[in-house]
Amino acid sequence: MNRAMTWTILGSLLNVAAVLLLAPLFQGVLRKITARIQSRQGPPVWQPYFDLLKLLGKEDIESGETPTMQRFAAYLSLATVLAIACLVPMGFAVPLNGMGDVVLLIYLLTLSGICTLLAGIAAGSTYSLLGISREMMSMISLEPLLVVTLVTGALHAHSLRLESVLNGSPYAGSGVPWSGLILLAVMLLAFQAFVQRVPFDISEAETELMEGPLVEYSGPKLALFKYSHMVKLIIHSALFAALFTPWGSHLVFPIGWLLFWIKVFGLVVLVTLVAATHARYRIDQAIRYFAGLLVVASAGLVLASYGY
Amino acid sequence: MIAHERLEQLRQKFGAAIQHTDFPADNRLFVHVEPAAVKNICQYIFRDMDARYVISIGADDRPYSGKFLVAHNFAFDHDHLLCSVLVELPADNPSIESISEVVPAASWAEREMRDLVGIKPVGHKYLKRLVLPDGWPEDVHPLRKDSRWDEVPTGFSDDRELTFDDPPEGCMVVPFGPFHPTLDEPAHFRLYVEGEMVRGCEYRGFMAHRGIEKLAESVMSYNDIPMLAERICGICGCVHSVAYTQAVESAAALTPPPRAEYIRTIMLEIERLHSHLLWTGLACHILGFDTLFMQSFRIREPIMWIAEKITGNRKTYALCQIGGVRWDFTPELKIELRQTLDKLEAEWRPIVAAVSGDKNIQKRTRGVGVADKKLVKNAGLVGPVARAAGVDMDCRRDHPYAAYDRVEFNVITQNDGDVWSRVLVRVQEVFESIRIIRQCLDKMPDGPLQLEIKDELPIGRIGLSSIEAPRGESHHFVITGENNRPRRWRVRAPTYQNLQGVPMMIKDQQIADMTISLGSIDPCFSCTDRMETIDLRSGAIRVWSQQELLKLTQRQKA
Repeated sequence: MNRAMTWTILGSLLNVAAVLLLAPLFQGVLRKITARIQSRQGPPVWQPYFDLLKLLGKEDIESGETPTMQRFAAYLSLATVLAIACLVPMGFAVPLNGMGDVVLLIYLLTLSGICTLLAGIAAGSTYSLLGISREMMSMISLEPLLVVTLVTGALHAHSLRLESVLNGSPYAGSGVPWSGLILLAVMLLAFQAFVQRVPFDISEAETELMEGPLVEYSGPKLALFKYSHMVKLIIHSALFAALFTPWGSHLVFPIGWLLFWIKVFGLVVLVTLVAATHARYRIDQAIRYFAGLLVVASAGLVLASYGY
Repeated sequence: MIAHERLEQLRQKFGAAIQHTDFPADNRLFVHVEPAAVKNICQYIFRDMDARYVISIGADDRPYSGKFLVAHNFAFDHDHLLCSVLVELPADNPSIESISEVVPAASWAEREMRDLVGIKPVGHKYLKRLVLPDGWPEDVHPLRKDSRWDEVPTGFSDDRELTFDDPPEGCMVVPFGPFHPTLDEPAHFRLYVEGEMVRGCEYRGFMAHRGIEKLAESVMSYNDIPMLAERICGICGCVHSVAYTQAVESAAALTPPPRAEYIRTIMLEIERLHSHLLWTGLACHILGFDTLFMQSFRIREPIMWIAEKITGNRKTYALCQIGGVRWDFTPELKIELRQTLDKLEAEWRPIVAAVSGDKNIQKRTRGVGVADKKLVKNAGLVGPVARAAGVDMDCRRDHPYAAYDRVEFNVITQNDGDVWSRVLVRVQEVFESIRIIRQCLDKMPDGPLQLEIKDELPIGRIGLSSIEAPRGESHHFVITGENNRPRRWRVRAPTYQNLQGVPMMIKDQQIADMTISLGSIDPCFSCTDRMETIDLRSGAIRVWSQQELLKLTQRQKA
């Protein structure tokens, strides 16, 4: 076994272990900060670990219309986000570098949304169907934003390889990186939607749809969905950090690695603050908002194609 | 005298149909009319004289007069007058011409009258059951005097499913309730939805009807009932207790001592404070804005504590007795209440600033759940819902009770009639409540808390009382009776009218706006149901019925 192969396997395991171990912690931090903003004591930061353990140990009730598909959707959901974890740099180089490019990344990110759709269809209740119709609408309007960003990066980097694109590529134009700055603004404004937190938790909206697609889930399978939801927060933060704030990631082991997690932590705090100070949007308002962002992002893409 | 003037107007128009009249005070008018003329008279009062519809009451008066009794109550808000149109119906044929065609707001009241008293509103367009479950036998009417209060009629089947109307073509049915995170109590809306748009809905509620009126009429006494009335609502209990007490006092022409009136005013306003703070929090929660939800609850808590210090309880104050109150204010309590109010006012200002400056909340509430002046009039909507539509009504000013005629306050109104206007009305009313309590604390005279009542209360007299609850006008109707208890007691909570406006408010709106539109009337339903247990070993599912649960609790008691 050569060195590259060893790194691929070891690195992937490292990334998967890191997101699995740290995702509940970040969720705990998010909950704690939210609580402090709301003048509450809040649960200990370890609470999400206990919550997951509790759910995993609970009785598994399959109350949806197609239990097989429900089961499949739950497993696929977590598997997808863990696969993505191997395609994103987390303080080191990208583990699965040679085995996929940004197109695969986009596919996998879409697939994690598809899992929610499958879950909703399998549950078959009115509320879950309403939830997935909303999920689908926001997916259709959010996906292009990500594509535009990655394509812009690829244009600048003249490559679709992960290591070139996920390395501050949007800024790689000549002179002032206009397209990079525009996309930075767009992605910051859309970030809340990618991680599905208030004000864009529309498809689950507890007070309207009672968790929408997840309404028929309980016990271990609910835990899997919750887990992948938490992991998504880290993955999107890592993706954002790699695209827009790559600085310092090349430094030697503990420093570069620490810097990366500090950036992710910063993004989690940002997400928390936005979530705690906003009310939920309605689906039509959200779509209009995304459409506006897409127009701006396209302008960035045009600039990028001229080399700015 | 304004009551005379109104009566003269009616006499000129319907001279022959008016049998006799009674105006015990300048702010009450009772008109007994011929059954045949009731629809025209109500139409004239409602449309031409522009009175507000309050409620219709059916009563079984057979043991006393040999007849059934129907009362249609109206309020002349500008004239400070409550008016009751009374009709006597023969015992063998209790049917009356429906007024719901000319007074749409009477629809529920007439359906309830048919369910509970068995008085048939002839010509009612939609005579579906309202209160009684579908499994209840057709010819048993619980509020008739020959029905026992604890009677379960033969032929009653507990598990009959509710029947529903067919949805319009092209619409999907979204069941909303009986259990839903934003409904704190059971009520069932069947939403007819086209995509994300709501095209209509059917409401089935009264799932936990407790028969409180019947209980009061059969086994309780005048002074027990305030405690029972208080338990009608989990939030505005004191309102019902005071409203009932005042209805009896008005029937018996009693006036409680001034100090008692001031104490009632203070407690009612404390209740409004905690209710409005609770509502603001819940509305923000419905919109997904949990930070403001938590902050309003934090600010609300000291109000609950001071209520507990005054009455011994956070919520059910056990305040009223006929002719007085049971709790006094010590000087220390007055100081502490003032301090609590100061703190509340200081903490409430930034919240109001945060809410009114928030674009995000406005986006979700402006133009949503609109109830315009026309709907307010036709459906008889009350309280903040009416005031948000620019209808300047407030029972505290229009039908002054307790000490409200001795304090100054503004009636807050807005013009758009949407959820946003209701938010603005409620957050501003908090400041007015604080102002009222402060004035009461300043002006409260010393003196007795309880009127000395030497004689038995007179029999067969009618009392009306309207109170501005946090959610709108709460109206109580009492006929005094024998055995130290009323013959008939009818409670009309504000939600009873406001719910009738909801289907129009949510029509042609996004389904996401349904929850906040319903929430914006601050609905108040009621609770109890059945539960399910699963035997882990066999996996068998067993549904516990209401009876079994009842048996379970009774066995544990014994």
